[in-house]
Amino acid sequence: MTPAAPLPQVDLRPPDAVMRLTRMGAMFPSRLSFLRSLIRRLADEKVRITRPVWDMNEEGFGHAVYSLHLGGHPYSLVAVSTDLPDELRTDRVIATAWDSAYVLYDGVPDSAEIARIVATAPKQEAARFTERDLVLSRANKSVRLFAHVVQALRDGAQPNADMVRDVGYLMRTTAVYGNGKFGIADRHLISDRPGLEGPFAAEMLTVWLIRHFTHDLVEFVGGAALDPKLKRHLGIGNSTGLGMAPFLVTHPVLLNNWMLARETALARVRAIDTLDPARQTRLINLAHRAAKHLQEWQVPDADHQARIVALRGDWQALLQTLSFDGPRPLDRIMHAAQSASCDLQELLAALLIEPFGDLVDGLCDCMSDPLAASRAPLRHTRELRDHIRRHFNWALVPDYDSPTACGQFWYVSEAKQEPRLGLRFEEPGAELESPLDIGRRIKALYQVLENTPDQAISGFLGTTPEHGLAVERVQRGAAFPYGEIRDNLIATSCLPIDMLRCKLSFFGASKFDPKSDRWTRITLCQGAPLADALDDNADDWWLPVFGT
Amino acid sequence: MIGSANEVMTLAAKAARGAGAPVALAAEFGRAALHHLTTGRAAQDLADALDTLPEGPIVTLPLLLMAHVETGNHHAELPASPLPDLCLSYAEAQGFQTTAHLLKDKVILEMAFDIPRPPHPVSRVTLPDTLATKMQRLAARLLVPETDASRRAGAGAGLSDND
Repeated sequence: MTPAAPLPQVDLRPPDAVMRLTRMGAMFPSRLSFLRSLIRRLADEKVRITRPVWDMNEEGFGHAVYSLHLGGHPYSLVAVSTDLPDELRTDRVIATAWDSAYVLYDGVPDSAEIARIVATAPKQEAARFTERDLVLSRANKSVRLFAHVVQALRDGAQPNADMVRDVGYLMRTTAVYGNGKFGIADRHLISDRPGLEGPFAAEMLTVWLIRHFTHDLVEFVGGAALDPKLKRHLGIGNSTGLGMAPFLVTHPVLLNNWMLARETALARVRAIDTLDPARQTRLINLAHRAAKHLQEWQVPDADHQARIVALRGDWQALLQTLSFDGPRPLDRIMHAAQSASCDLQELLAALLIEPFGDLVDGLCDCMSDPLAASRAPLRHTRELRDHIRRHFNWALVPDYDSPTACGQFWYVSEAKQEPRLGLRFEEPGAELESPLDIGRRIKALYQVLENTPDQAISGFLGTTPEHGLAVERVQRGAAFPYGEIRDNLIATSCLPIDMLRCKLSFFGASKFDPKSDRWTRITLCQGAPLADALDDNADDWWLPVFGT
Repeated sequence: MIGSANEVMTLAAKAARGAGAPVALAAEFGRAALHHLTTGRAAQDLADALDTLPEGPIVTLPLLLMAHVETGNHHAELPASPLPDLCLSYAEAQGFQTTAHLLKDKVILEMAFDIPRPPHPVSRVTLPDTLATKMQRLAARLLVPETDASRRAGAGAGLSDND
C-alpha cells in the first residue's frame, strides 16, 4: 500500500514569530481546540446523557449523577452542591469551600461510591481520591446571574437576555484537576481510550457536563425551563490564575505539539489554490459572526477593553476589503495582515482554519505526547553550543543581570501551595524560585560553554550539574521548535496573562476577562451544543454570538 | 500513603530538589523512584539516596548512564554500589527500552536507544508512610512562607469573588 502523499502547505510561520508572549497572548480558540474536538467526538458517537440520581433539596443543595458512554466506556459526573456563605466565596487556590464540587468517575458509581464522593469532593485538595476518580473540580456561582435566573423562572418569566449575554455562565470552575492529583487516576490509565486520547479530553468532558448540571440546577430551583437559546449561550465560566502558566514551561513537547498542529493547519489552508463560492460564503459569514462576537465581548478592565475596541475597528476594516477570489486567497490575506496587530492576525488565523475540517481535523490526533519523547542524542558540549547559537538566540539577547530583566520570580507559596509571582528586589523568597527562567539558564550555560574545552556532556555536567535543565532544553530544541516560549519569563515586563490565554485558547476558551496581568476569567462551552442537541449542527459554535 | 504514579513521581522529584539536587537530576530521581517502588524494590533505598544529597547516587547515577549513552554502545556495565537496586531502577526508567540485571558487583545493561520506552501505567503506588513524610518534609523546603503582601497580590486575584 502506498502511503498517502502529504497535504500541500506553505512554509510554517517561524517559531521566532509565533512563540512570543505578545502573540501567544492574542490567541483565539479554533476548531483544533480541545473542547471542539471533544464535542465532535460526542456528536459522532451520538452520545446520550442520563441522570440516574438527582437528590436535591428545594434550594438546590444535594447531589446528582450524570452518566454517558464514550468510546465504549461508561463515565459519570458526580456533582455536589452546597450552601456557601458569601464571605467564603473566592476563586483562589487558597479557598477551602465552594458552591459545588465534582468528580468525573470511571464507570457508573454505586451508592457507596456516590456517598464516598459526596463526602470527599467538597474538601477538594484536603481529601484523598481513588483511581476510579478521573477528574476533580469545583465551581462557584455567579451569584447575581444565578439568583436572577432563579427569580425570573420562579416569576414565570425568562431571565433578562442582556444579563445572560453579558455574564454568559451560571457558575465558573476554579480548578479542574487531572492526572493523578490528590490520588485521582493518572492520565496514562485512560489516555488510550477512544475519545479521551487528546490532551485534557477528560477535563473538557467534565467541564461540558458541569455546564449541563448548572442548567439543570437553575431550572430545578427556579421551577421552570429556560429558553433553549438562552441556555445554549450559558457556558461554564472559569477563573484561572498563575497555576496554569508553569504548565506551558514544564511541558515543552506538548506545547510544541499544540502549536505545531495549529501552525500546520494554517499552513495547509494557506496553500489552497482557489476557493469555491460556497466556501467563500462560509468564510464571509464566519467573519461577520466574529465581528458580532467582538461586539458582545465586554470586560471591565479598561486596558483590555481598549484592546477589544481596537480589534473591533481593525476587523471591520478588514471586512470591507475581504475577498477570497483569485489564486491562493488565504495566503494572500494572511500576508496582507502581516503588519496588523497580533490580535487581528491571530483572529484571522483562527477564522481561516475554521471551514476546513477536512484538511485540519486530523491534526488533533498529533497534539498529545504519548511517549514522553526522549531527548535528542547530543553528546558533546560543542554540539550544545552550536545548538544554542542556531536555535536559542532569543535566550542570549537579554542581559539577565539588569534589574528589569530579572525583576520577577515565580514561586510556590506555603499557603495551600498556591503558585505566585513576586518582585525579586522587594519581596522575600527569591532563593526558592521555581525553575521557569529557561532563557536565563540557557544563556548561563552558553557562557560557561564558551570558556570550556569540548568534552562529553556527561563529563561537563559532572562538574556543573546545575546546568542540567538548560542542557535538557537545548537537546530538545531542534526536534521541538515550538516547545519554548521565546521570551524572558522573569522580566518585569513579562505578563503571565499571555501564557494563560495561549493555553486557554487551546482548551476552547473565549470572552477572556482579565482581572489583572496574572488572573483571568473566561467562558467555556458558550454556544456549544446542549446534551440533547448533539445531533444538531454540533460543530458550528466557533466564537458564538448571542441568540443563534 | 497510597497515591497515583504522577503524585509519587512529583513528590520524589520535589523532595530531591528540596534536599539540594539540581532540578533536572531531581526530575530523573522522580522517574527512577516511581519505577523503583512499582517494581517492588526497597523504599529504604530512596530514603538513603535522599540522605546523601547534595552528593551521592541521585547526582552520579544519571550522569553515569548518560556517559554510556554517549558512547553509543548498546551494552554497558555499571558499578552496582552503593545502591544496586536503585541503579537498576535508574537504568530501567530511561526514555528508551533498556533491560538491566545485576551480576555480582555490576549492573549489566542492554539499551535500545531507538525504541522509546512506552509508559507502564500503574493504578496505585504505595509509598511507605515514613518515606512519604520524609519526602513531604524535604519538598516543603521549596515553599515560600506567606506574607500579607504575597497573599493579597502574589496570585493576581482578590480575596473574595462575589459577582
